[in-house]
Amino acid sequence: MSSNVGKNIRMSDFIDSRDNRCLMLDLTLASSVGAQPGTENISETLGRCNAVFDGIILNPGQLEHHAELVGGKMRAAPLVRIDWTNAYRDKDFCLPASTVTRVTLSDGEDALGLGASAVVATFLLGFGEDPESENIRSISLLARECYRLSLPLLVDVRPIGGRISSDNYMGSIKLGTSFMMEAGADALILPDCDAETCALIGKWASIPVMLRLDEIPTGEKIEQLFNLGMSGIVLSEKILPASGIEEKLTSLKQLVHC
Amino acid sequence: MTVSSGKTTRLNRLFNPKDGRAVCVAADHGWMSDPTPNVLELKRILGQVVLGGADGILVSFGTALRMSQFFEGKNSPALLIRADWMNMPRLGGSNLSNILPVVNFKKKATSCAKDALLVGASAITIYYFIGYSDEFEAINIEQAACFAKECRKIGLPLIIEPMAVGGMVTGVNVTEILIASGRIAAEIGADALKIPYTNDVKTFKKLVDEAGVPVLVLGGAKSDDPRDALELADEALRAGASGTVFGRNVTKAQDPRKMVEDICALVHGGMSIDEILGTGIKKRGRLRPVAVNCTGCQLCEIACVHYHSTDFDQSSHRLRIEYKFRPNEPRISKPIVCPLCEKCVDACKEEALTLGSGGYLVLDQSRCNSCGDCVTACPLDLVMCDRQGIPLFCDMCEGDPQCVLWCKPHAIVLTQPKGAEKHVS
Repeated sequence: MSSNVGKNIRMSDFIDSRDNRCLMLDLTLASSVGAQPGTENISETLGRCNAVFDGIILNPGQLEHHAELVGGKMRAAPLVRIDWTNAYRDKDFCLPASTVTRVTLSDGEDALGLGASAVVATFLLGFGEDPESENIRSISLLARECYRLSLPLLVDVRPIGGRISSDNYMGSIKLGTSFMMEAGADALILPDCDAETCALIGKWASIPVMLRLDEIPTGEKIEQLFNLGMSGIVLSEKILPASGIEEKLTSLKQLVHC
Repeated sequence: MTVSSGKTTRLNRLFNPKDGRAVCVAADHGWMSDPTPNVLELKRILGQVVLGGADGILVSFGTALRMSQFFEGKNSPALLIRADWMNMPRLGGSNLSNILPVVNFKKKATSCAKDALLVGASAITIYYFIGYSDEFEAINIEQAACFAKECRKIGLPLIIEPMAVGGMVTGVNVTEILIASGRIAAEIGADALKIPYTNDVKTFKKLVDEAGVPVLVLGGAKSDDPRDALELADEALRAGASGTVFGRNVTKAQDPRKMVEDICALVHGGMSIDEILGTGIKKRGRLRPVAVNCTGCQLCEIACVHYHSTDFDQSSHRLRIEYKFRPNEPRISKPIVCPLCEKCVDACKEEALTLGSGGYLVLDQSRCNSCGDCVTACPLDLVMCDRQGIPLFCDMCEGDPQCVLWCKPHAIVLTQPKGAEKHVS
């Protein structure tokens, strides 16, 4: 099957077709470092957030166990994180990573069976040639599978390895963008980057690009990033412990889909 | 929680629908370690386990084929199949007593979920080793994810057993690792966990709460006293565990059937350990000072601190030696020990401090509001609070008072009322 109908329909589950924008939440860090503040009780977290976000990224196990809390007309679409990595285990974690590894947790068929509207893969940059080449191979194969299954593939570009410095950080984001568009990603999640990089990628990328943020952005920032061609925001779970988060998220939703 | 109908049906066979709890017995040791008597006598032992009323039995694929009779019938135990193999019991210098010790840690997937389903299993169990090396953990995660995918496809529950082992695990980080690993396993796709106890109710509750899937506590090595195994189960249940998976504590017990019945009485019957074992709290021993024997060496204080404190804070001992000096007379010393008067218990409005089934004081930290009433209530000033406001009190070293053990002149003794079951080693 070569039609893009399936991808288009599924993409519209989390990118609002009226304004081509989206607001998403990523709750998958727990697979690497355990429960994060605000996600200790995942069903309670989903209950609070599922009406605010357009999409929520979950690990396969959580989507399986909490499928009733996501999807459908009124709730955030579920997206499945398809891989696992220990790259986020820094020295503050009880078991800091000394060798960074990334393994596949799920595949397109499994994600479809779970009811996911898309899969999200991680592209790690800056950890050396072997992990990078294996990561590219794995995402390329996944892109082929997702094409066959008409399942959107989002790639989360993470330039966080030891070879990344302030000098090459923005360049690494551009490199990751290029590689993943070439690999066949249907949308990208990029780290927060400067206006110049955003503008370049916004013009260049022919697929939706979302920015990953660890805190709730101001109205000014939101306006700026949409003007620069970004399609949405992916908030990490780090925003959840903030006080009055429900009100802040409701306001944010209105700003994104104004 | 939403799972497929196949998983729901099979989990219902394992967990008693009335209370959502399960008593399981692990009998897969012959698959990974030496053929000890419990392995050689497995058929007889499993017969006893079934009579005891176990809800599930964990066996290897081969045992499932050879001993399928134990799993036939509506009320028979659920068949849980160990779908992987590892050589940890034979690993390293500490296990040289093994027939064939090994140097490198290996773990392999040995059955697929579909095989287990075809022989009538209600779930499969696999290990998740964390703490040995990053690469080894990644292999474990990848295998677990493969099993999770297959289990989702065919509706077979997956029980993941996180094990914090290896050179990266220390006494300091092991509890945190276990808590994190429980959640990680759930994120990957575990429908239930089989996991070691963290050794206190508060941290195990955190593990249970954050995992979000049913947690079965494992028993670990065989306890000398069945009470110890039951107390572990009791504490885990108080922390919110959904049951037990005890192996050697059952299969190596003198009477496996009785042991399973006792665990069932605790897990399903809601009985206290004293009710189960026929012992009463009031019959338990108490510490008694014998001042005339005291040399004032303070070894009891050191033993107390060493047992309870990881930072070796010398001011945190829960008993003390008092001295009296009189001119021209030898120094007189006397141990001041907790007489178990229970005034601190009576003063605790939150019922955080209780006299536990083991006959010693137990603190439920989740209830304690650090009010300090117990400190004020103690007539001997033996209760104090640590820097976090958590009361420090004599818990008789959870039944094995170190002060008694270390006091060679017998200036502190443990009284054993007539007829009481001896519990302190």
